[in-house]
Amino acid sequence: MSTRITIDPITRIEGHLRIDVEVENYAVSNAWASCTMWRGIETILRGRDPRDAWMFTQRFCGVCTTVHAMASVRAVEDALKLPVPANAQYIRNLILIAHALHDHIVHFYQLSALDWVDILQIPKADPAAASKLAESLSPWTRNSRNELKAAQDKVKAVAASGQLGIFQNGYWGHPAMRLSPEVNLLAFAHYVQALEYQRKALQVVGMLGSKTPHIQNLQVGGVANAIDLDGTSALTMDKLETIRLLLAEVAQFIREVYVIDVCAVAAMYPEWFKIGSGVTNYLAVPDLPLDNVAGAYDLPGGVIMGGNIGGVKPFKTASDPAFREGVTEDVTHAYYQGEKPLHPWQGETEPQFTDWDGEKKYSWVKSPRFNGQPMQVGPLAQVLVGYAQGHPLTKKYAEYALSQVSAIARVNASPSLLHSTLGRHAARAIRAAMLAELADKHWQLLVDNIAKGDLSVHNQPVFPSGEVEGVGTHEAPRGTLSHWIVIKGGKIKNYQAVVPSTWNASPRDEKGAHGPYEASLLHTPLARPEEPLEVLRTVHSFDPCMACACHTFDPSGKQIARVKVL
Amino acid sequence: MKKRITIGGIGSVLLGDDGVGPYVAGILEAAYCFEEGVTVADLGTPGLDLVAHLSGIDVLILVDSVKNSASPGTVTLYRKDEILRHGPAPVRMDPHSPALSESILIAEMAGEGPEEILLIGITGEQYEVNAGLSEAAEKAADEAVVQILVELGRLGVSYTKLRTKSYLPWWTPLSEAPPSPAV
Repeated sequence: MSTRITIDPITRIEGHLRIDVEVENYAVSNAWASCTMWRGIETILRGRDPRDAWMFTQRFCGVCTTVHAMASVRAVEDALKLPVPANAQYIRNLILIAHALHDHIVHFYQLSALDWVDILQIPKADPAAASKLAESLSPWTRNSRNELKAAQDKVKAVAASGQLGIFQNGYWGHPAMRLSPEVNLLAFAHYVQALEYQRKALQVVGMLGSKTPHIQNLQVGGVANAIDLDGTSALTMDKLETIRLLLAEVAQFIREVYVIDVCAVAAMYPEWFKIGSGVTNYLAVPDLPLDNVAGAYDLPGGVIMGGNIGGVKPFKTASDPAFREGVTEDVTHAYYQGEKPLHPWQGETEPQFTDWDGEKKYSWVKSPRFNGQPMQVGPLAQVLVGYAQGHPLTKKYAEYALSQVSAIARVNASPSLLHSTLGRHAARAIRAAMLAELADKHWQLLVDNIAKGDLSVHNQPVFPSGEVEGVGTHEAPRGTLSHWIVIKGGKIKNYQAVVPSTWNASPRDEKGAHGPYEASLLHTPLARPEEPLEVLRTVHSFDPCMACACHTFDPSGKQIARVKVL
Repeated sequence: MKKRITIGGIGSVLLGDDGVGPYVAGILEAAYCFEEGVTVADLGTPGLDLVAHLSGIDVLILVDSVKNSASPGTVTLYRKDEILRHGPAPVRMDPHSPALSESILIAEMAGEGPEEILLIGITGEQYEVNAGLSEAAEKAADEAVVQILVELGRLGVSYTKLRTKSYLPWWTPLSEAPPSPAV
């Protein structure tokens, strides 16, 4: 006899990820991922000037603003075959890196650490013992007994107030929570410190993009940052130096705190390296271009099918023909009209809403497929695709992370463990360490290029009278993002965004194949089905981001989450 | 020392009256000059990223569309205790969902929250994709601007009004925008 559980957070807006699972003998036997809000925002762009599109796409999501702006200008540049000056590539790369570092830090500490860390154990911790443990793992200077005691006092104060505030809704005391009080305390102290470092990363985005959360410096063909090393208002050496120092501080936090914490938590939950693999087809696009025409990159892309790392197929460019031709979207189980899978340039977005029906239509998310197959995207895909190609920077940090896990857990952690819930967390930390190192490199590339006397930041776009098509890709914090544009007579004729969470949260397709969230939940053990912490652990490991586009505040507080057990 | 004050418009400019917060921020930026220490920002739909904007300031004034029982276009002032009355969402399924109370609680727990938080709420009429603002919300925006200036006066902030033409945001739907000048 199976039990059905629905997790449907009804907050002040309707527009969220809903998960339904069937549970048999304390394990998930079937799963459905659905999005409960229509995302037809692309229709706004039809008829507009392609040079303005990025300002609108930047508003698709309030958290991933920058990434949609970048994919959009790249789509138009691809359609026009317009090269981008080297300075502009480096400035864009620095913005993308800083945004991603901010995003990865927030994801681990603020958005998912509390799936593993039990806040209510913290008052029992011995700060001296926690400090000793921390110092054995990392050279980080903010692990002192006093610093940890101060963090513990914050939790004690919240607990003593009788209201848990931000912590009032965790699954504290759940049998799947297993860290010692000291490790819980350490992770929480870093949760508080993380707030500081994610802000430093955002500061870099703001300094280069002139505003955050919505950057203002992009242009089709380059950027609008005037470079004048001795000036007062443009991009000056002073400003660049501040940016370098901020990035260095963030990089240190990533290396000495984030990566170490992920490895330590992972080493204490080793069974989660065997849970949550799901779809082991991986897709990542190359990013961080090193030249004007985007022919060389610092992050490799490619495809792995069926977990076969040896059979990796690399993508040579960010708009590799294999990628351009391989992507389709299927609406068999999504609330849209349409018979067969369509390529994004031919994509339609005509809603056809029915009630939630797990056998028929049940989500507002379409099912993107690559050569007809569901694909997992995200840091794990990127790390595996790079590792498989022997990419030195990927190998360096992947091997470092695996050796840390091996040392703490006293096991022999191999790359195959990464096909898992914890693998996704580990890969995100590995990617963050890679990006932190690349931040330094791209800063130097920019400064060296300017020193050669090249101040160019923009090439003028020219629109042909006929029809042209382009795709702009970006390996965003949540994975492969692609914007597909059709331009006719200088105006937008069609626009489709295939976003990372669409790949991962996709419903079943015409062949009945599960999307990655759904597949990853199958066989997950649940200690207490009425408190499905284990389901949240796996879903959160993907870093889902859905339809966060509407923000109406509801003071009557209709914030009922439904964890419904049928 | 002068108070550090952030006035933040919240909401999506692509979804009808949800854009009224950024619209009010746009009017304030275009038509007023504030003394040092005052930041006006279109914060969009920041989710937990709001925490970064809460740190190191004394007063936060947010403008957002609200769903309440008042008629569309009503302007209501909420103070911190009313915003926090219902606490954080019970299940964090989608970690980037709107997170006003969560962001405030996190900043306070870290000891970084502003001492005063106000929310100027404008009751919305419609939240349709690409619909622009309803007439009710547009009128309410002017009223919200006045309310904000009153609050700033109470906080001892000085400002000057600039001579500007009427404010037309860049995200105005094509159907309502005046024809663009020939390039």
